[in-house]
Amino acid sequence: MENLSAKYGKTLNLDKLTSYCPGCGHGIVTRLVAEAIENLGIMKRTIAIVGIGCGGFSHHYMDIDAIEATHGRAPSFAIGYKLCRPGNIVYTYAGDGDTCAIGLGDLLHAANKGMPITTIMVNNTVFGMTGGQMSPTTLAGQVTSTTVNGRDTSTQGYPLLVPEMMQFMPGVKYLARETVASPQAIRKAKKSIQKAFECQVKGLGYSFVEVLVPCPTGLKMSIKDSYARCGKEMTDYFKPQVFKDETEQADVA
Amino acid sequence: MTQETLFLKNTETFAESLARCGVKYHFAYPITPATDVMKRMAVILPKYGGKMMQMESELAVSSALAGAAATGTLVATSSSGPGVTLMHEAIGFMCAAELPCIMLDSMRVGPGDGDILGAQSDYYVTTRGGGHGDYHTIVLAPASGQEIADIMPHGIRLAYTYRTPVLFVIDGVSAQMTESTTLPAYNDYSAEFDTSEWAFTGTQDHPKRALITGSYSHEDGYRMNEMLRAKYEKIREDEQMWEAVQVEDADLVVAAFGIHGRMCKDLVSKMRADGKKVGFIRPISLWPFPERAFAALPESVKNILVVEMNHGQMIDDVRLAVNGRMPVHFLGKTGGDMPMNTLAEMIAEADRILGDN
Repeated sequence: MENLSAKYGKTLNLDKLTSYCPGCGHGIVTRLVAEAIENLGIMKRTIAIVGIGCGGFSHHYMDIDAIEATHGRAPSFAIGYKLCRPGNIVYTYAGDGDTCAIGLGDLLHAANKGMPITTIMVNNTVFGMTGGQMSPTTLAGQVTSTTVNGRDTSTQGYPLLVPEMMQFMPGVKYLARETVASPQAIRKAKKSIQKAFECQVKGLGYSFVEVLVPCPTGLKMSIKDSYARCGKEMTDYFKPQVFKDETEQADVA
Repeated sequence: MTQETLFLKNTETFAESLARCGVKYHFAYPITPATDVMKRMAVILPKYGGKMMQMESELAVSSALAGAAATGTLVATSSSGPGVTLMHEAIGFMCAAELPCIMLDSMRVGPGDGDILGAQSDYYVTTRGGGHGDYHTIVLAPASGQEIADIMPHGIRLAYTYRTPVLFVIDGVSAQMTESTTLPAYNDYSAEFDTSEWAFTGTQDHPKRALITGSYSHEDGYRMNEMLRAKYEKIREDEQMWEAVQVEDADLVVAAFGIHGRMCKDLVSKMRADGKKVGFIRPISLWPFPERAFAALPESVKNILVVEMNHGQMIDDVRLAVNGRMPVHFLGKTGGDMPMNTLAEMIAEADRILGDN
């Protein structure tokens, strides 16, 4: 049998089947994170602090230490961790519900503190694990199990643009929004995720990547349609871009 | 840092005791009457190579504390009632996750925003767990600056022996009292424990570890709870702490913790001088509650008087401990310019109970 770890590296545990639903974007993002860790040679000192929701599964497919935090608090956990062990690489990984509904306060304060930690926010515009309820990033008019007539912007506001809130925080050194809607987009996302980790390895400051993904189950769409939506309706509103890249400065670690 | 005797606020004594016993990082948010702990930690921890980290809320404080505790590093926090309420999310998490840390609830008047004056209003919320699920934190209630310094090493050993949060509760009156305390020389008590067996430090020297308190199967939840039950049974068995004075021949025993417990010394010596057979029990561990102190009471004890700076919380545990063997009376007060009963009021109530006999 082919030795897969010789080909793909040791970080990604290829013996494990993922519990993500068919077509879920988490599988791609999890893999991109594992590849970034592998490429940077930081596997043995990297800690995943994952949120509650489908993103919480992500560490199971990597041979790295992990902490499953309380809902929304992964960024605060990461601050405590990084303070005690500055030599470790600490990243948080969670969906839009964990990261910007219940965890928005923890997230923005962690970003603003500017400590070298990394956050991957996987945005599929719904609470996936609980079955497709509205999240802060649900699109205007989007039908979910808790917005049966579509998201009403008069009471629920507009979809939250999270990286945009961090643009003017000097402690944020790498800031991007990417998507997995196409092979080209995945290559860009791979680059951004690796840069975000590099930013931490160099000790520069906080790094954040939002990745737009489809959730066919939560959206009750076919896989094909959910990818089309991810590449069109989602990216029309959540514009993929590198907001800030200050990773070219000298190491401070 | 060498041993020295200082005249300090007891909140400052608490900070000094933490730092001198090995606490490296302290996470906190300002709240009266606990703020002096974080203020002093901000000044002294850098001298020990550590840091006080101010967070944006007690929710973030306790979450950062949990993340820090997961590394095996000795970490602490300090707060008061409303802040401790917010921290309960992570306190329950740390109990489930088996993470050691030291916490302080410098208790004030509740509920709601309450009052900044001292109280013992958090007995229930600290000894009953406080959050969802079947768990307990070890709760210690020192009654003086000296006792804070003296039991801090024990508190740290409990936290690491049982890998669980240890919560100190001090009524805000004791916490803000200024008195002379002999502080210990520096010694990191957490260094007695090998955390490499469990700490989440990266896979350099161990296979993948994952800190998981959620259940991936229903069996997981059962196993975690059975593990915790066994741990709590052992703590109940081995770790009850109390002070008992002149209960051997007493007619009446007064039970009180914190400052009321401390006042019992004067109460007993005054009443004994008048020929009244009074003794006292001062619980030092509130969880596990020192049931054995009450089980060991002699036949002579006809009544128990519980005095608290609240409307009757510890009295429930006293009643459970004596299980109907004798009447349990209550004297308590919370709030007001004088947020507690005076020694004269305590003696008057004790006299009334003795007179009724």
